[in-house]
Amino acid sequence: MTPNPFDRSSRPISSYSCRTLYSLAPLLLILAVWYGVAWIVTWLRGVPFPTPADTGMRLIDMLGGQPLLDRSIYTHTVASLLRWAVGFFAAATAGILFGMAAGWWRPVERIAMPSVHILQLVPGLAWIPVAILMFGIGEGATLFMIAITAFAPIAINVVNGVKRVDEMYVRAARMMGASNRMLFLRVLLPGALPHIVSGLRVGLGNGWRVLVAAEMIVGSGAGLGYAIIQSRWTLDYPGAFVCLVIICAVGLVVERLIFVPLERRTVERWGMQRAA
Amino acid sequence: MIRVENVSKRFENNDTGDSVLVLDDISFIVNEQEFVCFLGPSGCGKSTLLNLIAGFMRPSAGTIRFNGSEVVGPGPDRGVVFQDPTLFPWLTARRNVEFGLQALGFNGKDRRNRASESLDMVGLNGFRDAYPHQLSGGMRQRVALARVLALEPGALLMDEPFSALDANARERLQDELLRIWADHMKTVLFVTHNVEEAAYLADRIIIMGPAPANKRKEIAIPRRDTRSRSSAETSRTIELLREVLAELPCCIPPHQSRSRT
Repeated sequence: MTPNPFDRSSRPISSYSCRTLYSLAPLLLILAVWYGVAWIVTWLRGVPFPTPADTGMRLIDMLGGQPLLDRSIYTHTVASLLRWAVGFFAAATAGILFGMAAGWWRPVERIAMPSVHILQLVPGLAWIPVAILMFGIGEGATLFMIAITAFAPIAINVVNGVKRVDEMYVRAARMMGASNRMLFLRVLLPGALPHIVSGLRVGLGNGWRVLVAAEMIVGSGAGLGYAIIQSRWTLDYPGAFVCLVIICAVGLVVERLIFVPLERRTVERWGMQRAA
Repeated sequence: MIRVENVSKRFENNDTGDSVLVLDDISFIVNEQEFVCFLGPSGCGKSTLLNLIAGFMRPSAGTIRFNGSEVVGPGPDRGVVFQDPTLFPWLTARRNVEFGLQALGFNGKDRRNRASESLDMVGLNGFRDAYPHQLSGGMRQRVALARVLALEPGALLMDEPFSALDANARERLQDELLRIWADHMKTVLFVTHNVEEAAYLADRIIIMGPAPANKRKEIAIPRRDTRSRSSAETSRTIELLREVLAELPCCIPPHQSRSRT
């Protein structure tokens, strides 16, 4: 790409130290706001709001083996990750299959898409009674909540992606004698990939965010969301903050470890336009 | 052999309920190994005609036969080269060529060899592992030609294939097309709005105008041993074509609605 002198974002940042500062700035901003809020709340309301330092100390203790609600922080994290992965995988599979079908066959889209859009409007917490009625209290209900909130954005994006695959690609494939199978797997799927990736991204985020709500209804007693909810009764707020920090960190790491490389290997390598 | 009999095509606009007659009762025959150009202003229905023969759309009336059987859909026996290369950006040049071979059931070494041969034909084997966005416009159009040649179609249907290229690339691709055509003796239907291109390439030129009376004039160019861009004969043909075109409107508003097949 040629540098555009009128594009403010592409102006080079000069020195090395300056660049380091630049990449640390977002973190510093978060810490500054966090400290500010912590002090103001403590001062105005007289309740101990955990500062980043309190949280950091607690995190180190926990990583060293200090239990939270009778379980190690690792157990909580792994329990959450597993639920999230299973729920998200189910949502991704269903979302991509449904999205391909609805993106290609107009009647499917006309009939089924309104319900998907409605799904997207339901707030995560509102699924609790539905999940309990359908699966009882336990793991099934948790997975259902993660899957159902991740499904809608994936499905909507896949439908859009398939619909935007250039009609000329479809013609070219048909002209070369492609079967429906080839058309779906080798043309529509890669053609829609920029949108599929952005749908998966939103879906993964939604699933992770609903974790807290979803783990409210687990009976088993492990999970980051569960620990956060329980801190209401134990008043262990630094412990809850540690869980929050881990939730955010996992989200960031997954973005860097899965989506950035996935896009680099596909969309960018193919010179395709990324979906907004 | 392509036989177009009394073909009409009407596009309906679902929103307004209007319809436009684009092709009105057109008939002609293209013989085997003939190079026929369809020349006319944009909007005269020449691309629609090619799309009908390719099978991307069905005529509103009349029939189109290819080698005796009626055209009901697109297929690898009629290779289409579009105005845009329409290569799949997610496949390398070689994989793009292999796509159709795979659809035809070629596998493994066979498929690679055939893809390699047809990339050789367009002189691009050195770029077989490049993705389309890494190739120039002319190179992409060569790959588009190679992927069709690999299927050994009975006819090549070309829809203004070189119109987006710069003059130099266009002339070189024209020459390569003629060479490939001479070597493999395919039937070629070539849509263009470029007078020089038609005069240089075609055995026969069908000049088209807007409906009704789509077929305005037909000019057969006596077979020469070697084609020349600057011979007196080519100049005379260009002159003649210009005279006919001058009587037609220069442009016709678009109407075509694309629909998925």
